[in-house]
Order: sequence, then C-alpha cells, then structure tokens
Amino acid sequence: MVDGTLSAPAYSRSFAGTIFFLQNQDAAPSWTLAEPGHFPAFESVVLILLLLGSAGLFFWRFGPILRTILRSKKDADFSLQPIGRRVWDFFWEVLCQGKVIRQRPLPGLAHAFVFWGFLAFALVSLNHIANGLGLGFLSPESVVGRFYFLFAAVWALLVAVSIAGLFIRRFFVRPIWLGRKVSYESGFIALLIFLLMVTYLAAFFVKDGGSTVKTLWWVHTLALLVFLPLIPHTKHLHLVISPLTVFLKRDDFSKIPPLEGDEDFGLVAGKDVTQLISLQTYSCVECGRCTEHCPAATTGKILNPKEIVLGLRSYLNEFGPASDTPLLTEQRIASPDNPPAKYLSMEAAFQCTTCGSCEYQCPVGIQHLPVIVGLRRGATNTGAWEDDYGTKLFLALEKNGNALGLSTTERDKFIQKQQFPVFDGTQEYCLWLGCMGGYDPKGREIIADFARVMHHLGTTFGVLKKEKCTGDPARRLGNDLVFQTLAESGLKSFETAKVQKIVAICPHCVRTIATDWREFGIAPEIEHHSEFMSRHRDRLPKQSGDSIVYHDPCYLGRYQDVYEEPRSVVAQAGTLVEAPRSHERSFCCGAGGGLAFLGDETGERVSHVRAKELAATGAQIVGTACPFCNTMFRDALTAVSEAPPQLLDIAQLTARALPASQPQDSGGTN
Amino acid sequence: MKIVVAIKQVPERDAPIHIASDGKWIEEGDRNYTINEPDAYALEEALQLKEKNGAGEVIVVCAGPERVQSTLREALAKGADRAIHIEADDLTGLDTLGVAQILADAIKGESPDLILTGLQSDDLGLGQTGVVLAELLGIPHGTIIMHVEPTGSGLKVKRELEDGWFQHVEMPLPALLTIQSGGNKLRYATLMGIKKAKTKELKTVATAASPTAPAITLERVYLPEKQKKTEMITGSSAEIANKIVEKLKFEVRVI
Repeated sequence: MVDGTLSAPAYSRSFAGTIFFLQNQDAAPSWTLAEPGHFPAFESVVLILLLLGSAGLFFWRFGPILRTILRSKKDADFSLQPIGRRVWDFFWEVLCQGKVIRQRPLPGLAHAFVFWGFLAFALVSLNHIANGLGLGFLSPESVVGRFYFLFAAVWALLVAVSIAGLFIRRFFVRPIWLGRKVSYESGFIALLIFLLMVTYLAAFFVKDGGSTVKTLWWVHTLALLVFLPLIPHTKHLHLVISPLTVFLKRDDFSKIPPLEGDEDFGLVAGKDVTQLISLQTYSCVECGRCTEHCPAATTGKILNPKEIVLGLRSYLNEFGPASDTPLLTEQRIASPDNPPAKYLSMEAAFQCTTCGSCEYQCPVGIQHLPVIVGLRRGATNTGAWEDDYGTKLFLALEKNGNALGLSTTERDKFIQKQQFPVFDGTQEYCLWLGCMGGYDPKGREIIADFARVMHHLGTTFGVLKKEKCTGDPARRLGNDLVFQTLAESGLKSFETAKVQKIVAICPHCVRTIATDWREFGIAPEIEHHSEFMSRHRDRLPKQSGDSIVYHDPCYLGRYQDVYEEPRSVVAQAGTLVEAPRSHERSFCCGAGGGLAFLGDETGERVSHVRAKELAATGAQIVGTACPFCNTMFRDALTAVSEAPPQLLDIAQLTARALPASQPQDSGGTN
Repeated sequence: MKIVVAIKQVPERDAPIHIASDGKWIEEGDRNYTINEPDAYALEEALQLKEKNGAGEVIVVCAGPERVQSTLREALAKGADRAIHIEADDLTGLDTLGVAQILADAIKGESPDLILTGLQSDDLGLGQTGVVLAELLGIPHGTIIMHVEPTGSGLKVKRELEDGWFQHVEMPLPALLTIQSGGNKLRYATLMGIKKAKTKELKTVATAASPTAPAITLERVYLPEKQKKTEMITGSSAEIANKIVEKLKFEVRVI
C-alpha cells in the first residue's frame, strides 16, 4: 500500500487536474485501478452527509411526481398478461436498446453505449461509495476486481466518446426535433457524465493512495451526488422510470381503453388521467422522434405529439391528478399567468391522423394514441367539440350507417349489379365491403376486382345483406355512442348470418372489427385481402414489366404488422419499388383518424407530401392496400405531378392480368 | 320559456319500401324508425332557444306505439328535459284532426309558452298537424319558420315564402310554429347526453277519449309508377329539331 506522503509527481498531478494526466508521458496506464486508500473519519462523515443531502434532495423532488402518478386514476383494464410480451419488450427495447438503435442508428448506438455503460458502472459506483465508508468490497488487486474494473473501463471509454458525440449533436448539429430551445440542463448533465467517466479512467493512470487519486475520487463522487437530485426535474427522469414504463405499457398498439361507469367520457380533466398515462408523461425524454415522424407536425399543423405529452405533464404539475380543470385549453379560462397552451388545444387534438408513428417510434413506451383519442373522446362525448364536418359525419353514421352519408339502397343496387351472392352460411368467406367498397366509386372498383380474384381462385364468398360502418371514424374521433351502436349492430349481424371468416379490402375495417370491437364481443376471424392474396400468390398471374411503388397503409403496417404480404402480391404483379419511407416508417396519406371526412387542412396537405415522395421514386404505378389511401392519392398525385403514375390497389394490380371475361356470377360452389 | 316540441317517428329510408297487402300502408316488418327530419329541426330550434335564454324547459311529445320511446330517448339525449309518450298503437286510422286532438289533450295540461313542430312529416307530408293543433289550443301559429327570435313578450319569426322571398312577422306568445328543415345545424347525440337521458322523466299517458271520426280516409298508397317513355324521333336534322321544339313546347311545356 501507499504511505500517504506526497511524492513530487503525485503532487504536481493533483494540481494539474484531470486533463493533464492524459498528456503526461510518465503516466503510463497501470492496468489497475488506483484506490484512495484510507478515509479519515471526518471525510466519511462528510460523505454520509453529502449522500443524505443528495438522496434527500432527489426524493424531495421525486416524491411529488411519484405521488401524482400513484394518485392518478387506476387503469381499469390493466392486466399484466401477456407477461411474455412484456418481458420481451423489456429485454428488446430496454436492455438491448433495439428500438433506440434501429430507428436512429448513430445517436441510438451512442445512447445504447451510455446506457450499457451505466449498467456496467452500477457495481463500480456502489464500490466507489462503499470505499469512502471503508466498506469497499471489490478490490482492484483481486482477479475479479481487476477484470471487472478493466471491463468497466472499456465501457467508460465508450460512454465518454458517446456522450461527447451526443453533446456535439445537441449543441452543434442541433436537429430541430430536439426542440428549438437549447437545453443547458442537458449540456450540464452531459458534462457530469463525461466527468464521471474521465475521473474513473484517470484512476488507472495514478498511483494508489495518493492525493491525486483522492481528488479524483471526490470529483467523481461529487459529480455523482450532483447528478442524482437533477434527475427528477429533467428529462433524465427517464433513467429511473422508463424501464418500468416500457414494461407496463398497454398490451396493444393504439389501444383505446373502455370507458368505466357513467361519469367517464374520456380525457376531460385531470381526474380522468390514468396511472399509465401519468407514468408515461413523466417518462418523456423529449427526443422528438414522435414529432419528427408526425404527419401533422411536419406539414405545418399545430399538433405536436411531444408537446401533447409535455403539455399533459405540465398540467399534472400545475393542477394535479384529481383536478376538474379541463385538459384542453379552450375550455379553460386563460389569464396572463395561464395563457392558453396551443398544443393541448382542441384544434391540435383533432389534427391527428392516428397514423401511430409517434407511438411506434417512442423509445420510452409512451402511447400517444390513447391520449390523443382520449382527449377527443372527452371533447366529443360531452358535445364540446363543435365541427360542421364532424357533426355531419356523426349524423350520417347515426342515420345511414355509413360514413359517406348515402342511402343504403345504393349499396343494395351495387350488390345487385355485381351479382354478389348474399352470405348464407354455405360460402367460405364473408366479403366485407366497408363504406368505401360499398359506396365509393373507386372503392367499388377495388371490391369488384377483388371479387374477380376470389372467383379466379375458386374461393366462395357472400356479402352481408345489410352492413353498417365498423365505426372506425367515430372511434378515432372520440364518439363512443356512435361507435358502440355500430359495433354492437355489426357483431349481431355476423352472428345472425353465422359468419365464420371475413375478408376485407380496408385495413381500418379489419383493425376495428378485430381489435376495437372486442370491447363488446368477439367478432369472427377477419383478414385483409393482402393476407388472403399473399397466401394464394402462387396461383395469381405472374406479371412483369411495370415498376410498382408500394405505400404501406398505417392501419395495415404499424397497426397490424402486415408488411410483407402486400409486397408479395405486388412482386407478383410487377417489380416492387420501395419508397424512401416504408414499412414501419411509412408516412400517412392523411385520411386516418376520421380526417378524411373533416374539412380542409391547415398547412401543407399530408397527402401531397406523400404523393410527391411516391411519384419521385419514378415508379410507373403506385400500389395501395387501403381504399382511403387510394382516395387521398387520387387527387394528390395529379396535383403534385405532371405525368402522375397510375394508382392501383393490390387487388386491381392482380385482377388486371385475369381474363376479362371472368364470370361475375355465383360465388357458389366452385 | 316552456317549449313543447311535438315530434313524429317515421320509417327510416334505409331499405326499399314495400306496400302492405291491404294497400293502405307500407309493410312495417323489421323496418327501422327515426325522428321525422323537420321535427329534428324543431327540436334543435327549441334547444337553441333554451340555451340562448339560459333558462326554460323543453318537453318532447310523441304519439305512437312503444317503439316511439327510442326517438323520445334520443331527443332527451340531445338535451330535451322531459318526454311524454302518448300511447297509441295505430294512428293510421286517424286523420290530421284526430292526431292533433290526441296531441292537444296531452299538451294542454302543460300550458307551454311555445309549441314547435316540424313543417310536415316525411311519410305523409300533409303539413297540417301543427296548424290544426294550434287551432284546437286556440293559439296563433306561424308556418314554414326559418328563424325564431324572442322579443320581450313575443316572438319575431322569419317565414320562408316562395321564390327566395322571406316574410318577417312579429307574434305574441303563447304560439305554435311549424319549423322548416335546414334553418339550423343539427347536433349529434353524445354519450354524456345518453347517460343524462337515463335519469330524465319519460311519462307515458293513455290516449284521451276517442277522437272524432276521420273526415279524410286514406284509400290507397302506391309506389311512384314508372312513366318513362322513350320515343325515337326520325327525319332530317331540321325535322328532328322542329319536332323536339314542338314537344318541348306543347307536351313537356318547358319552353
């Protein structure tokens, strides 16, 4: 051990600070961590006091947050099942940092190194503090200790490089998603982390027990103790709670929880905010991935998913989780001290296309859609949302049972003209037309072509005599009355007709029937026509020549994880081209969330942005798999391109190679 | 202001209509029923008057079999305060006077300041019930009303005349107005409204003593008959043109 007297080089080092050692030629690494040796009693007492102060400060600031989360309303539908999925998400998203890396590779990897480094450092830090109390349990001299400290050193190096990189990104590259305001707090915390790593590494270059090592030890300790109380009030709170948030998040994508009792109309006021939502809002790390991918935020709308989450957090901080103060600012009395926050406004809430990019992208398990749809429910279910288009849509759904507001006899006529058999239990499939397939001219073309494909494959099908909207637009716009009425009526009509299997051309219908209806009963098995056709692709005509760019519909991709099936159908019909943003990063067409039925957009049209992107691929055909995407691009492509590519649904892409004289009758017994 | 809205439940137009075997009415079978559209506007007007006024009561009244209660509940959900269901299993045997008498009996006891009805019904389209009801109650009435504005003691109303003309009339209260469709924007029923409606009063009353024998009886209902005739006109262009002009002038009489 070391005698404790100051040798000359150690003396100079201790004053030269921590940077100097790196340049000091004498300081060759010893491959062994230097330890400060003996701690006099007063130093230990100071350490204990500082520890208590730091921890006290941490809990003083963290306590109110924890109380807010715990005092929020219970999530009535919460269940730990399926536990396997939760464990997997925790493993992949937290431990492996899979999502963080995959969606932003470079900063993601840097973050992962910092995270893994922190994990590796947990033992080191514990031992570090223990040393100060004379309780060190990991000796640098022992085999285990020697190995572990070196192992941690590798991580320290990676953390130091990564945090420096992230610092440069935040303060010099400054991607706009991180917010326009520079967060000095983040900078300070990055410096603290850097300091922690450097002081640790430096201890490999100094001798045991000297004053230099003591200084390093104290600097390291102080950085740690300053860092701790900073956590609760900065985005670094995610360190503490986001692993829990990822583990506890709702088990379905965009899951809309059922309303509980007679007083629940959705998110009206603080008292309606549930524990999960509360936990999620405090987990936000403000990385802005949600905003970066948001079709509303990136086309000049007010809506900004990150600000919705942060707005909710400020609300909870200001009013608490039991408050009756409305969440949306229009319904709150604004004052100079309390100006209306534009982000948590009704206008913003109703600009969401429910494309789900935000929820998909979020690395800390925040589920934006239950919040945004929840806010809409609070506004619509209470009648606070007054919108001419919205009212017209709801009245059409109430009265005509379809979103287009047409007489149901129009559907009857179409069925007759196409000679679609009525489902009577003898056919294999019930072909669900949906509002677009039953009433919209272009949607009808898709249905007719898909029926031809089914004939070609010899699959029997029938249509329901009467069919109403699944309630998707009402669901997403927060009208639970209309949604429930339609869902119950739909479930009954399947039961009466004894339907076993359904196939539909609209991903919105499929999602709503398969998932959202579950609240009221179990619907028969339903699949999207892309899944059906993909299964039979070997028997579909092989075409060559045309290049086809496939657009992933949000409700098929992110919502149902169906990416490859439609691609296999497209590949059978021509040469598949990928759009710059595809698969789970696909950009919305602008129709979802009931927005297809609302008035004009502010800012740039979402459909135009996407249409430009698709046209720019140079493909001859834009292939879609959703009648809403199709209808949006119909106008958009002509608006953005002089010579627009052709626009065809995957059913049309397939049917165009079938013989034209395909019989239109039966559906009976082939 | 106490406002009574007399509403009617009519068959929904969501399926092709079939005439009943006796030829007197349509096949009711599993048909869906809904609020008569002009009555929906009458209800909207009543609700808006109450909201503007800040106080008052809106009572909806409907005569018919048990199924009309669903329409009354919907009216309660949209904001009416209470509902009166006049039990009457079959109204088809009655004429306008008979129906108005049933309504008058139920409304009289309420002595409202204002009674609103739709201009006419979607199924029969007679447009008289409101007017006759006003007469039976001995109060003034205004028809085809687009807009209502309360003055101190009475009302200022805007009537729709033909050819884009409007008439502005001042009238005293109590009064009865028949409301034209489209004057307001209808509201959608909300979940909150439905929940609140559960606790609102829906009173069922029996039909008062049998009304007078109908002066008008319904002989036969039938679907519009096809009258499309296609006639090919032949000849030279000049001859064809002459024939077309002649037909448009004297047969179709549009020029």
